[in-house]
Amino acid sequence: MTTTADTRQIVVFALQSNEFGIDIGQVREIDRLVPITRVPRVPAHVEGIINLRGQLVPIVDLRTRLGMPHAAPTKMARIIVAEIGPRSIGMIVDEVREVVRIPTDQIEQSEGVLEGLANEFIGALARIDERLIILLDVEKVLGPEAPTVLTDKESV
Amino acid sequence: MNEEPFDRAELLRYFKDESEELLQQIDADLLKLEPLAASARSDPETVNSLFRALHTIKGSAGMLELGDVATFAHKLENVCDLVRNGRLPISSVLIEILFEGRDLLTALIRAGTDGTPATRSGAGFAERLETVVLRHTRSEDEEAQHVTADPATASAGKARPRTIRVDIARLDVLLDLVGELVITKNRIMQISTMLTRGEAADAAKLVAQLNTAAALLARTSTDLQEAVMHSRMVRIAGVFERFPRVVRDLAKSRGKEIELAIEGAETDLDKTIVDEIGEPLMHLVRNCVDHGIESPKRRRECGKDPVGKIELRAAHEGNSVVVQIRDDGGGVDLDRVRERGLALGLIAADAVQTERDLLELLFVPGFSTARTVSEISGRGVGMDVVHRAIGRLSGTLEIASRPGEGTTFTIRLPLTLAILGALLVRIAGELYAIPIDAVGESLRLDASEIARSQSGESIVHRDRFLPVIRGAEFFELSSRGRESGSVLVVVLRAADREVGLVVDEFVGDQEIVVKPLSELVGPIAGIAGGTILGDGSIALILDPNALVSEVHRGPGSVVISGAMPQR
Repeated sequence: MTTTADTRQIVVFALQSNEFGIDIGQVREIDRLVPITRVPRVPAHVEGIINLRGQLVPIVDLRTRLGMPHAAPTKMARIIVAEIGPRSIGMIVDEVREVVRIPTDQIEQSEGVLEGLANEFIGALARIDERLIILLDVEKVLGPEAPTVLTDKESV
Repeated sequence: MNEEPFDRAELLRYFKDESEELLQQIDADLLKLEPLAASARSDPETVNSLFRALHTIKGSAGMLELGDVATFAHKLENVCDLVRNGRLPISSVLIEILFEGRDLLTALIRAGTDGTPATRSGAGFAERLETVVLRHTRSEDEEAQHVTADPATASAGKARPRTIRVDIARLDVLLDLVGELVITKNRIMQISTMLTRGEAADAAKLVAQLNTAAALLARTSTDLQEAVMHSRMVRIAGVFERFPRVVRDLAKSRGKEIELAIEGAETDLDKTIVDEIGEPLMHLVRNCVDHGIESPKRRRECGKDPVGKIELRAAHEGNSVVVQIRDDGGGVDLDRVRERGLALGLIAADAVQTERDLLELLFVPGFSTARTVSEISGRGVGMDVVHRAIGRLSGTLEIASRPGEGTTFTIRLPLTLAILGALLVRIAGELYAIPIDAVGESLRLDASEIARSQSGESIVHRDRFLPVIRGAEFFELSSRGRESGSVLVVVLRAADREVGLVVDEFVGDQEIVVKPLSELVGPIAGIAGGTILGDGSIALILDPNALVSEVHRGPGSVVISGAMPQR
């Protein structure tokens, strides 16, 4: 088991100067940046789609999604492919740092403490030593119910 | 638990599929028997078929230890047995209660196979059944309490079997082809090894061998593609069979008399399409019953047969399947449509609208001409949803109507969604695939031939005005500015309308495998999906329907529909 009752395994990645994490159970794979096919008429944070071994997977620029300034990706940039139900979605992050095991008692629910970040996407905060890791609620950030991920339904 | 030779879930699924068919059979049989009720005649063959269907359900349910289902099927079977022996005459009350019994049976089967609790309560059913049986085995008294069935929960349920039955002969063909594929693969790997090891004493010979293998591979994969497509084809009958019952129940509850004629039920279509087309069709059929066919009284006043007719037909037409629903009702009241369109701000008072423009207003979300929103058709699902659902299947929907004579809905669907011929073009640097069926022709014109007016750009082509859109602008892609030289235009055709699409480059035509765009980004107006090309890159597939209707309806429609009152 990757995650037990008292620890959670988290993939930690960097965006701007912050450290974020998502549950390893939601990560399908981590890839280097590949060429992304632009898709018209989608929200600004949707970069396009990629061909992931025959499946078309949408790619989201996580910086844009979280309201951070856009930055040109560096060599360290990665695509984290997350799974939401039966569907996959990739997000571009600045750098993937490590996978850590965090005792659940060091995870606390956040209450809008972070300035300038879209707080509704934050599931919880985890503390390891001096580090603060912001745990994203992937469903909320990228899921079909996410308020701005969907385009105008009426426009077909 | 896992020691069992058969997976119980598998068996349940199989039972569900099987009983789905049998329940359809029961419906069909009851519908056949119904007209006999008046004369109290019987039809031994149909009664037998009814009996057998119930008997089979009972047997299978018993084997699967679905006690409730077995007991209930047994009860109904007993009643049919009485009819079979001539001890119970067919009466309308009996048919009615058997219909109700069939619905209860459906609910029980669903509860048994999905584990969901039965939504229909059978309260009092047994007693009513007994009353009917007791009273009628003695006399032919028609005064028994009238039992009403609830049409909303009739066979139109959402249960879609996730399995497909394939003729074993078709599977044999598949197996043979896969065998050939494996042999060809081995051959290619052998050649590759020889080349790697430098054993190519005679390189030209190896190249020749490789060419042969490649040709074989191409042929086998084409055959394989075709064989798989064929094994996915099912008859549209599975969908059509639900309608006699629905029309009957609905007509009854609306106080209308309607005859339903079905044609072309044997037409083959891809299973996915058959699964998806059920609901839109259901809506259109209900629409015909509710809004199309007039009341018998009104029909008499107009000098028409009081019995309305609905025709449902399917047929192959080239590479597509055409499904038509035609009623001989009052037709769409265009004046009312215009009135509603004006009231909703969808059309301008001084603008000239063709009949077709007006009919297309019916596809605008929230638009309804019904004076009273009926319980069945008014429940949030409108023509717009039907239109969109068909669009998602890469199909088109058209309405034709004649006042006083009736309405015809025509749906055109592709045979299969998986593979289609496409013209590849480049727009603003990106590759797009245009379904070849929608490509009328491709033109190269001088930039000056495109005329600009307030309503947009157009060209004169074959003595007609053809609206033109620029791909890059339509898709909000950064374009390289307006060229002054020649311009490439693809004439797109959908639902008998045309539009010219300006593209940067023609790349070529090829067969493409359609992949859905993730629901996490869609739906996107004008894009039907994506495809992966030989080099692994992606081309988006254009949705010609969306392009054509957006251009003809004008971009404003999107904004207006957003502001529509929600029901």
